[in-house]
Amino acid sequence: MADYSLIIIGGGLSGLAAGIRFARFGGSVLILEKHAIPGGLNSYYFRKGFLLETGLHAMTNFAEPGDKRAPLNRLFRQLKFSRHDFITHEQFSSLIHFPAGNTLRFSNDFSLLQEEIASRFPAEIDGFNSLLAVVNGYDPFTPKAWISTRVMLARFLHDPLLIDMILLPLMVYGNSEEHDMDFPQFVIMFRSIYQEGFFRPDGTMKDFLALLVDKFTSYGGEIRYNSQVQSIGITDQQASHVKLAGGEAISCDAVISTVGAPGTFAMLSLNPQEEKYAGRMTFVESIYILPRQAKKEVKSDHTIIFYCLSDQLQYCQPVKPVDTSWGVICFPENFQGLPTSENFQIRITHAANYDLWKKASPLEYTAMKQEWGAKSREMSAKIIGNYEQNIVYEDSFTPITIERYTAKARGAVYGSPVKIKDGRTPCSNVFIAGTDQGFLGIVGSMLSGVSIVNQHILTEN
Amino acid sequence: MTRGEIKDVILEIIADIDEDADMDGLNPDEPLRDQLDLDSMDFLDIVMELRKRYKLQIPEADYPELATLTSCINYLEPKLKAL
Ligand SMILES: Cc1cc2nc3c(=O)[nH]c(=O)nc-3n(C[C@H](O)[C@H](O)[C@H](O)COP(=O)(O)OP(=O)(O)OC[C@H]3O[C@@H](n4cnc5c(N)ncnc54)[C@H](O)[C@@H]3O)c2cc1C
Repeated sequence: MADYSLIIIGGGLSGLAAGIRFARFGGSVLILEKHAIPGGLNSYYFRKGFLLETGLHAMTNFAEPGDKRAPLNRLFRQLKFSRHDFITHEQFSSLIHFPAGNTLRFSNDFSLLQEEIASRFPAEIDGFNSLLAVVNGYDPFTPKAWISTRVMLARFLHDPLLIDMILLPLMVYGNSEEHDMDFPQFVIMFRSIYQEGFFRPDGTMKDFLALLVDKFTSYGGEIRYNSQVQSIGITDQQASHVKLAGGEAISCDAVISTVGAPGTFAMLSLNPQEEKYAGRMTFVESIYILPRQAKKEVKSDHTIIFYCLSDQLQYCQPVKPVDTSWGVICFPENFQGLPTSENFQIRITHAANYDLWKKASPLEYTAMKQEWGAKSREMSAKIIGNYEQNIVYEDSFTPITIERYTAKARGAVYGSPVKIKDGRTPCSNVFIAGTDQGFLGIVGSMLSGVSIVNQHILTEN
Repeated sequence: MTRGEIKDVILEIIADIDEDADMDGLNPDEPLRDQLDLDSMDFLDIVMELRKRYKLQIPEADYPELATLTSCINYLEPKLKAL
């Protein structure tokens, strides 16, 4: 008998959700996580007494308890968490900010976005409502050939500015492709951001992760940290064990890998096919901490600002290390009902070029961080006003940080532009969940872990 | 198990799966999914829970047998008779 029925590689959100799902019905399962703490892309660290969250701007897919069909509540049922016990804080409102005073506000009340479009783009509101009808009736989950979102949108909307404005939040929070996106992914993101909306859980990501790990271990699941998987061992064309970096082999009946397609293929001694599966969208992010009194000096009434200061949105890998012409400005304290704290944060995200960061020497790397940090502050100050003078602590991360801490090939946050939607690999008992399976973001990656266990592990035993 | 006991087990499993399930006024001959607004993922939970509790293997081809409360009881009665 194998040591475990299931081994999950990676203790990020998809791996934890998959683990809970399988352990819940008594399956023996081990999660192997290379780092000392869980969370992967969405984790936390301590610096100078501050707890900093690595990934969280906001969770998407807000739904009130009781709305049974909502993805968030389905996820909670699948993981056997009480949605009524889970305290959420909804966003204030968010802003899409483009040149020449073109702005759109949206909140968790979808009608705000409709009203904004009707008043600022009156010629487009009928088209937008027709698009909405298509989105509402669409099934984005049945696999089909790739469909261009830009072609679809052009059927309903005529103003390229409005198209870019609608696309910016959906792309930056969940598109692994450049320039365009697969229409089903557009539908998923449209629902999760505009129709459902942003919130954050009560407490920090550290608390949220502890909740998941506690649930997992309460069902008898085991998790080992500092345990990097080196390879997946094959016997008679089936995975029979995984081998850790230290040489230890652990046997199992099936494997779910959440480390992405290239990494998983490499573990199977297959060609990692980086050209095909390594994504090009990666980001830099700066985190600034400022004293609460400084808040009145910045324009900070929104939760998240998605800005683009050039005429056309260039959602692609930039030719320079960082593209500050567009980005995201997030105020993590701007959620309803949060306790007031001594400080507040500003988080700013831009698209970045992996190769340019990768080839920099340590000295150049430090200089690049400073140079682009300054450019980013200058650009964002045009939207929220000057804040540099009040910064008490700052930190930033680059594509290289993302690659180092999560093993995402080329630091591509949203993974491969080509998704493996059924989770299958050339090896019949090895499956892919998480980012490269196709559901993105915090709620998405958890749903991915759950659905891969449902489809391939629970029903095929 | 008697039919009445099987019914109680199923209702208990559903209540356990879905904290918002409204069991009052459940029509035993109407599909559970529609009445309780459950989806296929929830349905899998019923199957898995039966497997966990009674070591019952329910093949996917038989899932339609679990559509209504009455059809569930009919299907499970011979399988749980000995318990
Ligand atoms: C800056 C930033 C901001 C974000 N903001 C948001 C947001 O506001 N809202 C939102 O919904 N989403 C956000 N996301 C996206 C979200 O974090 C991810 O989509 C999600 O966490 C992905 O989860 P995952 O489990 O698929 O992958 P990962 O989190 O990458 O998990 C993979 C895990 O595998 C481990 N691992 C890798 N290799 C090995 C190995 N060989 N052996 C063992 N373990 C290994 C890694 O350490 C990691 O823990 C953000 C991401 C970033 C980077």
